[in-house]
Amino acid sequence: MDTSLRPSRRSVLGARIRDRRRSLRMTQAALAARVGISASYLNLIEANKRSIGGALLKRIGDALEMPLESLDGAAERRLLDELDEIAGAPMLSALALTGSASDLAARHGAWAHALVALHRAWRDRDHAVHALSNRLSQDPFLGDAVHRMLTRVAAIRSAAEILGTTDDLAPDEQRRFAQIASDESERLSDVAQALATFFDKDVSDARPRTPIEEVDDFLLDRGNHFAELESVADALHAACGDASERSLADYLKRVQDVSTGYRHVAGVPHPARRAAEYDAQARTLVLDETLPAPTRRFELARLAADLFDQGAPLNAAIGASPQLRSAAARRRARRVLSSYVAGAVLLPYVDFQQAAVAARYDIEHLGRRFDVSFEQVCHRLTTLQRPGAEGIPFGLMRVDAAGYVTKRLPLPRLLLPRYGNACPIWPLYAAFQTPGEIVRQIAEFPTGDRFLFVACAIDKVRPAYAMPRRLMSVMLACDVLHADRTIYGEGLRLSSAAKAVPVGSNCRLCVRSDCAYREEDPIVGA
Amino acid sequence: MSTRVLIVEDEPNIVESLSFLLRRAGFDVAAAGDGESALADLRSQPARLMILDLMLPKANGFEVLKAVRNDPALAGTRVLILTAKGQASDRRLAEVIGVDAFMTKPFSNREIMSEVRRLTAG
Repeated sequence: MDTSLRPSRRSVLGARIRDRRRSLRMTQAALAARVGISASYLNLIEANKRSIGGALLKRIGDALEMPLESLDGAAERRLLDELDEIAGAPMLSALALTGSASDLAARHGAWAHALVALHRAWRDRDHAVHALSNRLSQDPFLGDAVHRMLTRVAAIRSAAEILGTTDDLAPDEQRRFAQIASDESERLSDVAQALATFFDKDVSDARPRTPIEEVDDFLLDRGNHFAELESVADALHAACGDASERSLADYLKRVQDVSTGYRHVAGVPHPARRAAEYDAQARTLVLDETLPAPTRRFELARLAADLFDQGAPLNAAIGASPQLRSAAARRRARRVLSSYVAGAVLLPYVDFQQAAVAARYDIEHLGRRFDVSFEQVCHRLTTLQRPGAEGIPFGLMRVDAAGYVTKRLPLPRLLLPRYGNACPIWPLYAAFQTPGEIVRQIAEFPTGDRFLFVACAIDKVRPAYAMPRRLMSVMLACDVLHADRTIYGEGLRLSSAAKAVPVGSNCRLCVRSDCAYREEDPIVGA
Repeated sequence: MSTRVLIVEDEPNIVESLSFLLRRAGFDVAAAGDGESALADLRSQPARLMILDLMLPKANGFEVLKAVRNDPALAGTRVLILTAKGQASDRRLAEVIGVDAFMTKPFSNREIMSEVRRLTAG
């Protein structure tokens, strides 16, 4: 549309000059004299009976201390365009505002600008509200923020409509509703700011985080390798002689005066009961006799790690971390680190790393060789980053059958979702179709990054016959560049020219619009 | 005597805009900022229409609606829910309890006024 054809442009210009002149308390005669025209000619201009431009317009602009842009109509045209957009908005169509924009701009220029600014803010926030409410609709913080935004927007919109459509507003009413719009806009900005911060990784330190997130960041920051805890594990392993159940129990009795007992479970056990219980007063560890042997050894090693040197090494690692702020996060981290040491006792670094390299990271072979579970091997493989004796850098993710992410150790370039689902094409999910079988995949991300994914759905102890089978899918991931060092890369075409399976991180973040597996619209570009 | 409308809303600025619109349209307007005082107000002086938010201090909007529907003395009260909680499940719940109309925030002044006129007519 050629906006210069609109009759309103000139009428806006004349009114603008008059309003500005009056606000400067300048008479027509005075302004006319300043710009070198007659007062009667200026009167015609202000009455919109003469159109002007060029040098005269510039002189008037200078005399009124107004930028040419706002006098010559460019700013007005933009303003009118935006007002037309507001007038044409479906939600306001019932008000039949079309055509009245130029009157509003001419009579209440500042109000027109205010409406446009509010409309922009409303539109931006509205977009944000939609995107964010879809993005994490279950997140309590987001739910609350969205509710507050809608409330603020409701107040702004109602006040703006009163301002825009009530002709006979008294000045104090005008001021009052403008004040409401302004106050509520400010609050809306605060909510929007809080939302932006929620998603902004760069300022993530400033926002409150969950204990799980704090521990996540702690492990990422350390690359999931703790040299000082490896030393603890080596010392424990040496003191035990080996990592058998008997040796670990003997060590606990000898060094820590802790007795190990086994609980006989008859009938249907309570599903929530913990399989290993330590009584610090009585110094006894009671293990459920039905626990798999690797789990019993793991629990013994974990207690040994917890009690080692009165917990000093674990506490030091936690205390030195700037990420672990909350008490809950520190408790959680302590359990994660005692598990780390337990894993390292069962799978001593040097032996395990050499065996892993020699076996080309064959997880099942390593499990048999060290008498540990599939998951324990996977977990230990992610920690092999001792300088000079590094293994392949692996990421790890574990989900249950409902898709809950129950463990995640990302790689620098591999985003593993913290909550919700990953890409449905990942073998992490396909593995549930064939429990116990290893599923592999060369996955290519939209960025071109390629990873080798190796997944297996494993059985966890089910609490009772009548309860459902408990499967967890565990997936290891490494850059495809390392795939040739693993048995899982064998028989796969690993060159970048070869076809790979096109995947994404998850649907919300993925740009593959034509993907048959897409379950949700992308958050950007939907 | 003009028709009484009770606004139950804990956002003062929304109360102010709605009051302004309703008074201009000739209604007698009262406001309550939480669920408990809304019920107290209604019982002391019946209103033809209650414009009810769902997220309220003390008794929430569903509880207020339920109390109104269970009180024979308030049988003549029409209830318009006006909420930012616009999920289908909220709407269904309100309908089950017995709401007359359900609108979500942000609302257009014109729409809400036409709804108010419809609910207070006759």
